[in-house]
Amino acid sequence: MEILEIQNLTKIYKDGTTALRDISFNVKKGEFAIIIGSSGAGKSTILRSINRLVQPTSGSILFQNKEITTSSKGELRKIRREMGMIFQGFHLIKRVSVLKNVLHGRLGYMNSFKGAIGAFSKEDEEAAWSLLERVGLTDQAYKRAGELSGGQQQRVAIARALAQKPALILADEPIASLDPTTSETIMNYLYQICHEDGITCIVNLHQVEVAKRYATRILGVQQGTIIFDGSATELSDSEIQHIYQKKLVV
Amino acid sequence: MKPSINHIQKRKKIQTILIIGLFALFLSWSLIDTGFNVPKLLNGIGETFRFIFIDMFPPNLSSLKGFMGPALDTVYMSFVAMVISAISAFFLSFIAAYNLTPHPTLQYAVRGLASFLQSIPALVWVLVLVAAYGLGLIAGTIALTLSGTGLLTRSFAEILEEIDMGPVEAVQSTGASWIQVIGQAVVPQVLPGMVGWSLYKFDLNIREAAVIGMVGGGGIGFAMQRSLSLFQYKDAFMAILLIFTLIIGIEYLTNKVRMRLL
Amino acid sequence: MKENMPINNNIITSPSKTEPPRKKTKRDRFLTGILIFGGLFFIFSLIQLNLDYSRLISGTSKLFSFVGHMMPPDFSTWEKVIGAGLESLQIAIVGTSIGVVLALFLSFLAAENLSPHRTISWMIKGIAAFVRAIPALIWVLIFIVAVGMGPFPGILALAFNSLGMLVKVFAQSIEEIDDGVLEAMRSTGASWMQVIFQGVIPTVLTAYMSWSIFRLEIDFRYATILGMVGAGGIGWELTSAMRMYRLEEASFIILVIFLMVFTVEVTGNQLKKMIQRI
Ligand SMILES: Nc1ncnc2c1ncn2[C@@H]1O[C@H](COP(=O)(O)OP(=O)(O)O)[C@@H](O)[C@H]1O
Ligand SMILES: [Mg+2]
Repeated sequence: MEILEIQNLTKIYKDGTTALRDISFNVKKGEFAIIIGSSGAGKSTILRSINRLVQPTSGSILFQNKEITTSSKGELRKIRREMGMIFQGFHLIKRVSVLKNVLHGRLGYMNSFKGAIGAFSKEDEEAAWSLLERVGLTDQAYKRAGELSGGQQQRVAIARALAQKPALILADEPIASLDPTTSETIMNYLYQICHEDGITCIVNLHQVEVAKRYATRILGVQQGTIIFDGSATELSDSEIQHIYQKKLVV
Repeated sequence: MKPSINHIQKRKKIQTILIIGLFALFLSWSLIDTGFNVPKLLNGIGETFRFIFIDMFPPNLSSLKGFMGPALDTVYMSFVAMVISAISAFFLSFIAAYNLTPHPTLQYAVRGLASFLQSIPALVWVLVLVAAYGLGLIAGTIALTLSGTGLLTRSFAEILEEIDMGPVEAVQSTGASWIQVIGQAVVPQVLPGMVGWSLYKFDLNIREAAVIGMVGGGGIGFAMQRSLSLFQYKDAFMAILLIFTLIIGIEYLTNKVRMRLL
Repeated sequence: MKENMPINNNIITSPSKTEPPRKKTKRDRFLTGILIFGGLFFIFSLIQLNLDYSRLISGTSKLFSFVGHMMPPDFSTWEKVIGAGLESLQIAIVGTSIGVVLALFLSFLAAENLSPHRTISWMIKGIAAFVRAIPALIWVLIFIVAVGMGPFPGILALAFNSLGMLVKVFAQSIEEIDDGVLEAMRSTGASWMQVIFQGVIPTVLTAYMSWSIFRLEIDFRYATILGMVGAGGIGWELTSAMRMYRLEEASFIILVIFLMVFTVEVTGNQLKKMIQRI
């Protein structure tokens, strides 16, 4: 079953940069898809369009059969809360406790005002605790998020995404600022949790070997177009070279 | 052609000499116009020492009791004005910060208003306000509130412009509404800084409030001014010492709190 | 789903089962405490001030009609007003210059790494702190009683007040000089004066100039209002216009004060940038 259907997606930024050219692909429920491509290829723009942190120039994105690109503010909130997002820079509120950061995942489900003043319900708090347990951070719950190591912060970010009870997780280079061992831990968490909970996941990466280890499907992006779509075994060395080769601007 | 290093040095030297020369010109013009000279300076300092050490010294300790009320009024006035201006500035600053403003036109309007409020000295505000509200604490409090709103709106907006937008975007991506993003992602980042600035403004208010009294804003400045005009110089000295203590005390206190905040 | 899961399970640490104490983050509590205390003290202050709120309302309507009477600004007396504005500028320039010159000498005695004796350093810094803490306008009042009205007490007040601040920041700039630099100079047998002229002054010159300009800016702001208590300059014109109920002239004077303060702020920033480039 398709959870995401992207058709003819194009994004041209205000300054005239064409980041995506007429991209189309579908993602099935339960896939662990990894997008690879050199920096500037358009990977982030794809993920950010799916969450509508950037407004696509044209094309359509169907998430669980709902159109994202034209949804109203209220609809967008409902769509966003079912997509967890994980970033390269963790993007936690550093001054706030780890627990609060996880609870932020519940905001989309709350009364706007209650959420604004941080009046989280007892159930939400319990849920946040069990998520922290899942990522092995209960003993850090009351520390400020900024005091944690990079790997720990990314685990908090994963817990925040899970607090949304998402159907889809979008991870934009989640391990790019971590060392190899920590990177492996994070990828393992992400993979295992998505596998156990049946969450579909799209990850941007630029490490091909890591992508090959985890991906159920790999998408290769170059200069805003998808030039490879297949399994890890189908991704040959020449394909890799092709994806990472800088094409001259015509 | 690229200018050589020698050339640049030469230009810098000329620039320096030009600035200094221009300043010397201004200075001599000012000296002549104001009729100022060194003997006059020495004479003036002598007169002042005589006044301070003979007419004002020693301070009249028994007048202290009478000054306590006005001194406390000064503290209350400064604090109330600070809180009101901090609250108004909090709301205005979201409009004045370029990364959060609902509209650029609104941003410029609020910025302009803040600059205007800040650029008119509190003392001038008092003068106008006294005409409407009469002599006393109301005029002083409003004056401090107005100039405080200007200063704090500008500094709060600067704090807002320096926040890390990454986490803001992350919270937005969970489906949080605008007000939730402000409450949960923006405010926690900026609150310590804003409280710190407000405390600093409280500190400034105490200094301002001490002089605002002189043109009718009430408080300790008013009491001191009255002693001076009644030729009760030893009382006035007591009031000055009290003002001094107040300023140093509040400065120490606010600094301590600000240190722990950041 | 892929069958051969590439997961190295032992990397995932098993979560600790012990429940941690559920308490708030420390600094969180401090901030909350400050805010609560601030709110309570605000209410307390309002009660203590015992403001007459009926006057607040009637005054506000009065304010509008008053401001109405101030409009439009009356430019006819521009010669007098501009002259008074220039006098304010002159008061600021002379006052700041005296402060700078005196602070220059005193800073060499006040800086701990240069002062002939600790006690001298502390004494100068202490006096400077006292002078600085007393607002310029209070100095004005003292000087007016001592030397009479006019620009002179204004100049003295600004000189004193700037002196208080500049001694502190100048001494700080000297104290920030790398010890090694002074050591090296002394080791060549340079005298105290030589160390100052050859080592210290060239090092701190830029900082001194920036601080002086910064101070000139402050003094200029002061100079516009000093007159309001009798020390000459444009402030005096404002007070007398208000007293004689020449409100349209008063609004013109306020406009000039605003423009003066604003211009000085902008040119001050510009000058500071220029000096940093030198
Ligand atoms: N906000 C933006 N404004 C203008 N150009 C942008 C913006 N964000 C990204 N781009 C440009 O769009 C292209 C794709 O960027 P991105 O999606 O971030 O690539 P990737 O994530 O693969 O490195 C790049 O050329 C980049 O410079
Ligand atoms: Mg990217």
